[in-house]
Amino acid sequence: MTLLGLLLGGWLLTALAPLLARWLGHRAGWPLAAGLLGLAAMALMLGYDTTVEQSVPWIPSLDIALRLRLDGLAMLFVALVLIVGALVMIYSTAYFRGKPTVSYYTLMTAFAASMTMLVLADDLVLLFVSWEFTTLCSYLLILRSGPDAGPPAARTLLVTVAGGLCLLAAVATIVVRTGTTHLSTALADPAWSEDGTFATTVAILVAVAAMTKSAQFPFHAWLPDAMVAPAPVSAYLHAAAMVKAGIYLLLRFAEPAAHAPAWSALLITVGLVSSFIGAVFALQRTDLKALLAYSTVSHLGLLTLVIGVGTTAALTAAVVHVVAHAAFKSAGFLYVGLLEKRAGTRDIREVGGLWRSMPLASVLILVAAVAMGGIPPTLGFVSKELVLDGVLHGPGLWLAALVALSAAITVAYSGRMVVSTLPGAPTRLAPASGTWPMVVAIAIGAVAAGTFGLVAPALDPLVGRAVAATGGSGDVHLALWHGVTPALGLSLAAIAAGALLIVARRGVDRVLDRRLFPVTGVGAVEAVQRAVQVTGRRLGDLTRTDAPAAHLAVPLLLIAVLGVAGLVALTPSWEAADSTAVDVALLIVLTGGVIATVVARSRLGAVIAVGVAGFSVAVWFFTLGASDVALTQLLVEILTVVIMVLVLRHLPQQFGRRSVRRAVPAAILAIAAGVVATLGPLVFTGRAELSAVGRWFVEEGPVETGGANVVNTILVEFRALDTFGELVVLAIAALAITALVEARPRVTRPVLPSVSSLLAPAAPNAVFINVLARVLVPLMLLGSLYALLRGHNAPGGGFIAALIGAGALATRYLGAPDDREAHSGLPYLAIAGSGVVVAAVSGFIGYAERSFLTPLHADILGYHFTTSLIFDLGVYLAVFGVILGALDSLGSPEEPAAKAGDRR
Amino acid sequence: MILALSIGVLVAGAVFLMMSRSFIRVVLGFVLLSHAANLLLFSTGGTSRRAEPLGKSLDPVLTADPLPQAFVLTAIVISFAITIYLLSLAITGGRDEDDEDGDDA
Repeated sequence: MTLLGLLLGGWLLTALAPLLARWLGHRAGWPLAAGLLGLAAMALMLGYDTTVEQSVPWIPSLDIALRLRLDGLAMLFVALVLIVGALVMIYSTAYFRGKPTVSYYTLMTAFAASMTMLVLADDLVLLFVSWEFTTLCSYLLILRSGPDAGPPAARTLLVTVAGGLCLLAAVATIVVRTGTTHLSTALADPAWSEDGTFATTVAILVAVAAMTKSAQFPFHAWLPDAMVAPAPVSAYLHAAAMVKAGIYLLLRFAEPAAHAPAWSALLITVGLVSSFIGAVFALQRTDLKALLAYSTVSHLGLLTLVIGVGTTAALTAAVVHVVAHAAFKSAGFLYVGLLEKRAGTRDIREVGGLWRSMPLASVLILVAAVAMGGIPPTLGFVSKELVLDGVLHGPGLWLAALVALSAAITVAYSGRMVVSTLPGAPTRLAPASGTWPMVVAIAIGAVAAGTFGLVAPALDPLVGRAVAATGGSGDVHLALWHGVTPALGLSLAAIAAGALLIVARRGVDRVLDRRLFPVTGVGAVEAVQRAVQVTGRRLGDLTRTDAPAAHLAVPLLLIAVLGVAGLVALTPSWEAADSTAVDVALLIVLTGGVIATVVARSRLGAVIAVGVAGFSVAVWFFTLGASDVALTQLLVEILTVVIMVLVLRHLPQQFGRRSVRRAVPAAILAIAAGVVATLGPLVFTGRAELSAVGRWFVEEGPVETGGANVVNTILVEFRALDTFGELVVLAIAALAITALVEARPRVTRPVLPSVSSLLAPAAPNAVFINVLARVLVPLMLLGSLYALLRGHNAPGGGFIAALIGAGALATRYLGAPDDREAHSGLPYLAIAGSGVVVAAVSGFIGYAERSFLTPLHADILGYHFTTSLIFDLGVYLAVFGVILGALDSLGSPEEPAAKAGDRR
Repeated sequence: MILALSIGVLVAGAVFLMMSRSFIRVVLGFVLLSHAANLLLFSTGGTSRRAEPLGKSLDPVLTADPLPQAFVLTAIVISFAITIYLLSLAITGGRDEDDEDGDDA
């Protein structure tokens, strides 16, 4: 029996909940209530009089652990969460009779587990995660309550998630400043008293997070909004448990955060405003549920206020009031659920005479209302007197008087709940059969609220340890009667004033029956939401265009700017010593090719011109001592032209006219980019000697691998993982091309003008290439195999070999009389995919010696063999597959387009 | 020096083509840009040593740096695959690219 067991017990119950609900239906609440009570008992046995800790490693590298701690404060909240949870589960067995309950019970149990995790958390990350769990549970529980629940659920989520982000910011700040995620250590860190900026920042962030969760002004709008949820959800999440998460957080941080003066000021202000406007709004409402919702805002405001005061007396008042509020408010909400079920309404103007039609429930709500109003001898009276006492001995009489004013209004609305519904002519009610579990649940809450005042000293140890955990003195003595004190006087004055307000309720109604504020909370949240959406759309509009130029211009321009900035800092080296006459000739051809590409009017002309540029680049590679690369470039250039021609068949011959307005800025940008691109290499690549890694490859590569082609051995041995990644890219490209060609409609083929030329008929003209292909194709395939095998020692290798093989395919394709015949029908996706698989398998062989892709070497019959040859075969297949796919899908017969490449 | 000029010419041509409305021109610009990138990779190895890195005993004073060569070899094939992908974009979608071509529509 450990804390971890307590935590896991909660989640185990969550896992069981859907099964139980499926099996038992609405009756699943019974075993779940038993489970929650069992967990509560376990918690009490573990930590009633001692503090227990446990830690399980989670992410050791970041010092994040599943640290759990059950101290007095956690004990109080765990007991509250689990016991009220059990009450609500019992209630639900009757409330949800005959309704679907699987998601309800699962989410409610998940919420109880999250809440338990939150209060047990002794790790900041765990605390944050649990916090968000409770937010999510609340959102989903509201969302599942009906078709109209979407917008209120979303508003609730928006507000509470905003608070969650504040908590995340607070957590991050604390972790960075104190260097630990351990909550207890972080809270005891000297930084709180030494570093005012840190303490203030975190205090405000924590306060805002708690304010959103506890529905404090100005974040109070979501709580009445959340009342679309069914009564048990409201009773549990929005009265007794989740909104208390904010109060828990405030209590947890009360001691260190008090070092920041802003903490106290903020909490007292916000608490007072919330307490007052919550009470006024509650008095204004006739819907009992809305009344109770605003009452919750008011009572939580009171709690926030006393936590802001922060003295031992004030913290004691907060802790006792948390218990009292949970008891009378859960009873209140559950009662409203019962009333709604039996009377069909929850408006106090529409019901009456309940005293006679449901006497037991009427007694119970009377007790709860008396407790809510803080009338002796209830626990509500005890806690209210403590609150007044705490405020009197802290900020002073002025604040205590304001608190008493809000208490008077509280008495008034508590009274309204009963004075207009219990007496009078009885309303017709639905039969009471089967509602007894609901009455039991209400009774437990009401009786606790009513009688704990009489036995207040019994709460001393629990409350005392909780107060001690928040930094106060644990020496607490609760009592119903403290003698004649100023607090008692204020308390009684508030009751008297409240009674007057009840008596004069018609006059009060006339005053309040109007809109008190020009803006409603819901309206404000909606306005913010709309503003964010509009801003997002405006921002998105900047980039919402199909024209590639609009997207490319920005990065290109920035590169030019970067280049100019670089030139300011660095000087290029102008040495021309390394250049040869061949280089200059190449530059001339290359420039010609580029210019021809740019000015070409026809598409075919541009493709041919770009080929000229490509071939000169290939020769460039060759003159730089890279025959492998040059060979690759040459083959790719040939295949590019073939595939481009396949594509051009679908497009008009001529490009459209180019406008000057468009060409001039493009030319300026192009020249700027070209200048930067010229100066960049001159600045950065002036190194004279071979790089260290290059030198190592040149000297040691052939020795290590037994292969004389250093470039090939780099590809398939030293940097094989890199190459493997590229094979995956190639396979994905093959997939993407297939998907594009199959899924998207083709462009409509332009009608070609009929040409009366000897060149026009395709079949007779293909005779030459057709005859040649018969000889060439087998030869090229053989050659490609040879290139693959010799790649280790001489120019060749998988890439080049595959390109030669693909060249053979292209030759065959061009020689075919029509598209249908040209279609190879080979399963190119399978070929490309098998390339990746073969490469991966050869990689796994490497595990025999060291690790993934380690090449193994062996000499068989005087020849040197290595597993990197298998890897190279994978390269071959992947490259071959993607080009085959391109030829087959782009060169496929037009009709039907969807047939392209289907024989996989 | 000459290599750097070649890179500059290629980049200028590529940028001009990419600013065009015709998608085929954009693809051609991409092809030129990948040439430029490959040559840029080569320039990191220097242009003074031009002997092939082929053979069992190589002279580090004369031999070209093999690492940029290996990078470029795979880069050529990858950019080829992307060129094919762009070309398939050009002829699918049901709309002729010239619908938007020409003057600023």
